[in-house]
Amino acid sequence: MSDLNALARKLAALGATDEVFDTGARVISQAGSPAPLTAMLRAIDETVLDRKLVFTAGDTCVSIVASGRRMRGLSDITPMHETAKTLLGETISREDPASLDASFALLSELFETADPLHVRSMPAERFGSGGERGVPAVDLATLWQIDLDEAPLPPLERFLRANEDTITAMLHVDKGDVVASKGDIAALEVIWQTQVQAYLDAEAKLGGQQDGARLVCLDGALDDGGSVALAFAGDAVALLVFPSADLGQLHGSWQAAFR
Amino acid sequence: MVVDELDALRTANEGCQTVAFGDLSTQMILITDTQTNLPREALDRLCAQAALVLGRTGKTALGTVPGLRALLADTTSLRLFLRATDEPDDVLCCVCAPDVDVDKFIADATECLHRISNSNN
Repeated sequence: MSDLNALARKLAALGATDEVFDTGARVISQAGSPAPLTAMLRAIDETVLDRKLVFTAGDTCVSIVASGRRMRGLSDITPMHETAKTLLGETISREDPASLDASFALLSELFETADPLHVRSMPAERFGSGGERGVPAVDLATLWQIDLDEAPLPPLERFLRANEDTITAMLHVDKGDVVASKGDIAALEVIWQTQVQAYLDAEAKLGGQQDGARLVCLDGALDDGGSVALAFAGDAVALLVFPSADLGQLHGSWQAAFR
Repeated sequence: MVVDELDALRTANEGCQTVAFGDLSTQMILITDTQTNLPREALDRLCAQAALVLGRTGKTALGTVPGLRALLADTTSLRLFLRATDEPDDVLCCVCAPDVDVDKFIADATECLHRISNSNN
């Protein structure tokens, strides 16, 4: 990867409007977008000064000392993990491929399915011996076959992915074209073709907000008791069928994706 | 007293800003909680929104049958509409902050509406 690419990525990250903070920690991966390990390496790659980056997912917390866009090593992990004992406090090096493999295996095991993944940037602690600088994040990405330039999913895609197990049928339309579907979409096709525009027109007459992302959920709106949701985002709309009991969860994940 | 029920629902749910009891057949808000500061026009729009998303006289704007509950969310607010099971024209219209606990609020609001609707009819 060229320096220009790295610079462009950092400028994009700095200019991003959808950076999410949750109780002081930065949300760097949500619903698998970007992949948690990609997000971790990006966080390291964005770290120029000496810092301790504390990555958290659920009850798992891993502290990585980073500096000069390099990962120096693991400084702490909770709860303690058997594999981690040999890695804690040791500076990683390209000369020691076993420790790099072990670090990758450990981080994969702990964070591969993390959702969401948070990071806090803390003051650096004394770490390792003075002359060892660790390994650049971009080199780790190459070594671990991680694409640092992986484009993050748009919020609507993140919302749909986060609810894969909840949604029983889905019709995803973008600029009038169906771009994805799932399950039995017969009822959703009827809604899309005969009701959505009339609903939007009626809503507009009431002065309702039609810009920006919106979620409309109608509980028990289908003959079989199923509930319908419409998630609007720009030119795209996703029509969903979901179980009534999951209304709160659906709204919560929508808020998480779009806030 | 209906207003006490509405006040209790509002105070029991952090993030709840307005609770209004209305009639879908006339599309009128009949009473609100005592703390709401929405003007009359906004309350009228709220009730009209309830009629649109919950449907009237057996017709619905989206779906095949009028539902009992509807949720409208944007990134800054949340509106919840609930229809009474026994009196389909009785509705609760609620405006909340986006981070309100939706499951708890719906459970509380459903009980509240049931009590109000039964005491009125």
